[in-house]
Amino acid sequence: MLDPAVLAQILWTGIATSSYMVLFTIAFALVLKVLKLWNFAQAGMMAIAFYAMYVAVNQWGLPTAAAIAFGLAATLAATLAYEVLGLRTLRARRSSSLLFFIFTLVCSEFTAYALTLVFGTEPVPLFPEILSPTRIVAGVAVSDWDLLAVGVTILLGAALALYLRFSRDGQFLLAVSDSAELAELYGIDARRAYLVALAAASVFACAGMYLYGSRTAVIPTAPLQLMLFAVIATLLGGMGSVLGGALAAVFLSLLQSYSVLVIPSQWQGLILYVFLFVTILFFPTGVRRLWNTSTRS
Amino acid sequence: MSFKRREVLKAAGAGALAAALPFPLRAQSQTLKFGLAMPLTGSQSAYGKDQVQGAQFAVDDLNAKGGVQGRKLEMIVLDTQADPQVGINAVNRLISVEKVPVYVTAWSAVVKAVAPISNREKILELSVGASSPEVAQLGDYVYTTFPLADVDVTAVAQYAHDKLGKKNAAVLYINNDTGVDAAKVYKSAFEKAGGNVVVYEAYDPKATDYSGMLLKVRAANPDMVHIHGLITDIPQVIAQMRQLGLQQRVSTYSAGYNPNIIKQLGAAAEGLIVTSLAPGVNDRPQVKDYVERWKQKEGRVPNGLPYTQYLYDAPVMVAHMYEWLLKQKLPATGENMRKALLGVKRFDLPMTGVTEVDPSHRVQKPVYLLTVEKGAFVPLATVG
Repeated sequence: MLDPAVLAQILWTGIATSSYMVLFTIAFALVLKVLKLWNFAQAGMMAIAFYAMYVAVNQWGLPTAAAIAFGLAATLAATLAYEVLGLRTLRARRSSSLLFFIFTLVCSEFTAYALTLVFGTEPVPLFPEILSPTRIVAGVAVSDWDLLAVGVTILLGAALALYLRFSRDGQFLLAVSDSAELAELYGIDARRAYLVALAAASVFACAGMYLYGSRTAVIPTAPLQLMLFAVIATLLGGMGSVLGGALAAVFLSLLQSYSVLVIPSQWQGLILYVFLFVTILFFPTGVRRLWNTSTRS
Repeated sequence: MSFKRREVLKAAGAGALAAALPFPLRAQSQTLKFGLAMPLTGSQSAYGKDQVQGAQFAVDDLNAKGGVQGRKLEMIVLDTQADPQVGINAVNRLISVEKVPVYVTAWSAVVKAVAPISNREKILELSVGASSPEVAQLGDYVYTTFPLADVDVTAVAQYAHDKLGKKNAAVLYINNDTGVDAAKVYKSAFEKAGGNVVVYEAYDPKATDYSGMLLKVRAANPDMVHIHGLITDIPQVIAQMRQLGLQQRVSTYSAGYNPNIIKQLGAAAEGLIVTSLAPGVNDRPQVKDYVERWKQKEGRVPNGLPYTQYLYDAPVMVAHMYEWLLKQKLPATGENMRKALLGVKRFDLPMTGVTEVDPSHRVQKPVYLLTVEKGAFVPLATVG
């Protein structure tokens, strides 16, 4: 197992399979940063994205690009309704953080149940065939899906970084994430910033579900399971740090992948829970903040 | 008024007497109940629903021919979601509310979970499709009509070694009741035949990425890979295996005998070996008619055809058992149903042939091995 080719394969496959987890984590961490909301409703948006694309591909026979566009439109519409009809109402009532949290969970569960009624519970992949062409590069098997996943993740991650760094709207998002009240004093529309952050999260959720669904079969409750990974990565990367969350997602994926060298495969899932336990107990503000503090001192 | 009161009293008395009378003496119009607890929702529902449909065909056919001595069979269907806890709820209801003396269920985890209830309440449980070898040791009131994994998995392991000349095998299995016991059987049979199991690895039932496990396979370089999972994960394991450049021949068990696996894997399914514990359309004319019936009624062949054949046969077995009870003039209790099962002992069934119930709680049937060739399942060999 300690053959360099095997280690390189684990590295490459671990990076490729971390792609959708990185996208889900970025979506989750961005909303947490800007809206200060543990947005479990993201699982519902992910499920809507997947099933919209599934219908477009398998029932309407649309080409992939059109299916993605339809999936994104459906997710954005659902997100808009969620923000305008749900979150704004709770904000207007000055509801507690707990109520916001419960509301996001309810939205997620409601969506999963509604989709179960419509699509049933049989796992379905996005495309009828789940195999993608593969080539061997320096002893490492590289599939088209791997390349697409890594490419899309880098592209979207870079686009978000540039957007936040250089665009006016991006700067507004950062200002609102620092202090919504202060930002509003400077004339920044916090409600618009919330909407933009949720819309950006929808794009990441939709891209992630495209990658996930083109590799494996999905059931309406699967996104909630995927969300757990995003939550752990966000906690580990430091709450409010989008980049930290993304890096933590890659780290956790690689750790899970490399763990097969020392533990049986069926224990891989346990690693996530160990990290959740350790992070909550010992690094409640995330490893990144801990590292920042130690370097400052 | 007094006449009316007398009439009412007479009717009430007759009703009470009828309720107190043993089963065979009650009104001939009363139905003969049995339960069917299968996954109607959840990830296994596509198979569960088709199995229920198979059983429904049989009930319709039996009732169309007049039922059992003029009395109709009544099948009460409840959902288990293939989940042990939901299964326990369903079986409790079948026993305490519906008062069935016998019920049919499947999926190893459910069959095992509900077995203590059957033994405690003395209600006969017929396991029709669960393959875990432990099913044979679940108690006096649990019988299988389906050959357990040690039958077909042993056959496929021996075939791989003896006929295909494979010497080193990797065994990959789902970490639940379906996979764990069957993987042990494969390992034992393959090693007994003279081969080596070079990788023996379980995967999490919730996993979607199997690359770590498959890299262990790549490092060990076996000449055969046996996968014992569920139909939802087997295609994904094979797909990821091929994408990692692993070209070894793959075998699995009866769950893999499903057209969806070929649809999802395309050319990567070529050479896959699966088992079937029921005769195919070319082996038995009734099966051909049955498949045609599916095509006419549902426009397709059923998911997991062999399993649905066993489910078709289950109500036929129940009908034979009721017939035995009526002949013996015994009430329809779980204890008597068990007596009937052992009393009839040899059932000649339309879809799967002769089934003999023996005291070891096992049944022996021929194993049909099939392989994927040019995008279709073709017969490979018949064992036993």
